[in-house]
Amino acid sequence: MTYLTSAEVSEAMADIGPVEAIRRNRVQVTTTPGRIRAALRSATSRLQCDHLVQIATIDTGHEFELFYLLTGAHRTVLSIRTLLPRDRPKIRSVHDLLPPAGIYERQIHDLLGITFDGHPNLGRIILNEDWPEGEFPLRKDWKMDPAKSYGGAPEEVR
Amino acid sequence: MSEVLIPIGPQHPALKEPVSFRVIAEGELIKRLELDISYNHRGIEKAAESRDFVKVVPLLERVCGICSHSHATAFVKGIEEVMGLTVPRRAQYLRTVIGELERMHSHLLWLGVAAHEIGFNTLFMWTWRDREIVQDVLEELTGNRVNYGMNEIGGVRRDVSEALIARTLIRLKPLHGRFTKYAEIIEGERTIRVRFKGIGRLSREEALRYGTVGPTARASSVDYDIRKDDPYAAYEEIPFKIVTDDAGDVLGRTRVRIGELEESVRITEYALRNLPAGSLKVTSPRVAPKADVVSRYEAPRGELVHYIRTSGGDHVERLDIRTPTLANWTSVAASLPGNHIADIPVVVAAIDPCLSCTSRITIIDSGTDETSVMTWDELRAHGRKFYRGREDR
Repeated sequence: MTYLTSAEVSEAMADIGPVEAIRRNRVQVTTTPGRIRAALRSATSRLQCDHLVQIATIDTGHEFELFYLLTGAHRTVLSIRTLLPRDRPKIRSVHDLLPPAGIYERQIHDLLGITFDGHPNLGRIILNEDWPEGEFPLRKDWKMDPAKSYGGAPEEVR
Repeated sequence: MSEVLIPIGPQHPALKEPVSFRVIAEGELIKRLELDISYNHRGIEKAAESRDFVKVVPLLERVCGICSHSHATAFVKGIEEVMGLTVPRRAQYLRTVIGELERMHSHLLWLGVAAHEIGFNTLFMWTWRDREIVQDVLEELTGNRVNYGMNEIGGVRRDVSEALIARTLIRLKPLHGRFTKYAEIIEGERTIRVRFKGIGRLSREEALRYGTVGPTARASSVDYDIRKDDPYAAYEEIPFKIVTDDAGDVLGRTRVRIGELEESVRITEYALRNLPAGSLKVTSPRVAPKADVVSRYEAPRGELVHYIRTSGGDHVERLDIRTPTLANWTSVAASLPGNHIADIPVVVAAIDPCLSCTSRITIIDSGTDETSVMTWDELRAHGRKFYRGREDR
């Protein structure tokens, strides 16, 4: 087994975005939300990535950062990074390219309120069914509103 | 025949992982599966953002009662990477010992639960008796049967004496024979063959396509194992092999877990016999520089990932946890259609999702709109009766 080098990744990702090697067996590509599907296609076909490890998300306070982490027989974790504006958190779904993305996208939608266009079912999966609409607890500016009910039995019947 | 919707679950407050399935079936055959895993969300990722590193370690041990060492190790090794700490070898070996003991107790628990699901209660009793040996060893080494509290950033918190190592090796000895026995039982017993063979099959391509991890993937010839792929703790120095199987069904997953039990006890013994001398930990700074790190760990159920971002302070900016069970759900949804309702307990249990006693099941007949409630016990009994009826034919 040989790890992917940043040169190999750069070649496969020539029109996708800049590549940097983070450490042994970690390579990162930064791209725009519009090119995410093209990036994943070249990762799976040209770089033989066959396993979606995780879609990691971070709310920086200014924007949302998404990391699509993939690996394959080369045992290198390829990270495809993209930024979404906080006021328009929308990106194309990739569940059809990589089926496990379906459940990860649903989870991210639930907790951070990022919409994945083309996802067949972005219903609740992590938060409870009586959680109020439009509240995304993993956002940095989220605060619990004492006037609202966040689920469970109402105070008076407890 | 009309389609029937069968909601399974969602919850029992005492259980580790309550889940709600909606199974759409036609007669005995499953057509589709929908899923809701919301019932045990505790907001640990959010809570981790508001505590310093020292307080996050015990918090993360409580993500899961079975894989507590996995979560703590995944986190501390990530932070150690950010801080650039070199953890003493003795600590790395001790982390490996606890990690492998944890894998043994988890796999033995699973084997017992799987046996119980098919009504093979003798095997259930045997495996859980043997699990006590592992639990006792863990208790003696760490002071706890669950949530071991061994890890801290920079090393481990408890040392082991020579006398304790000798005692542990004596205690572990009978396990070799037990694991060989289990390997024989699953090949020879008719009950196991009837209920496990050919059930919930995933080809290698499907296992990869649906993103399975751990024993579920390895039973379909996928040889991914983080202990080899992204070595941590002492795995680079300890000889062991990755157990795989090409059956891809529940029987294959059972074989892989029993094979891993044998490997784990060997790794544990090797690490204890070759435990390096030296200190237990290095002093860690209070703050970590700004960095992102992907920390991967081979938990009993498969690849566990902690995506950690630090920002120069004494707490994490973000901790994104991807658990192995979440990765394996997609394959359950994909492998159940075409199977019988009677196979639900086995196929679901085969990924080891910690939910084997999910509470109640409502059966709605779309023809008559009649609703009846069934417990997981009744579903299990239905599975046993279904296969017994076929046997008589």
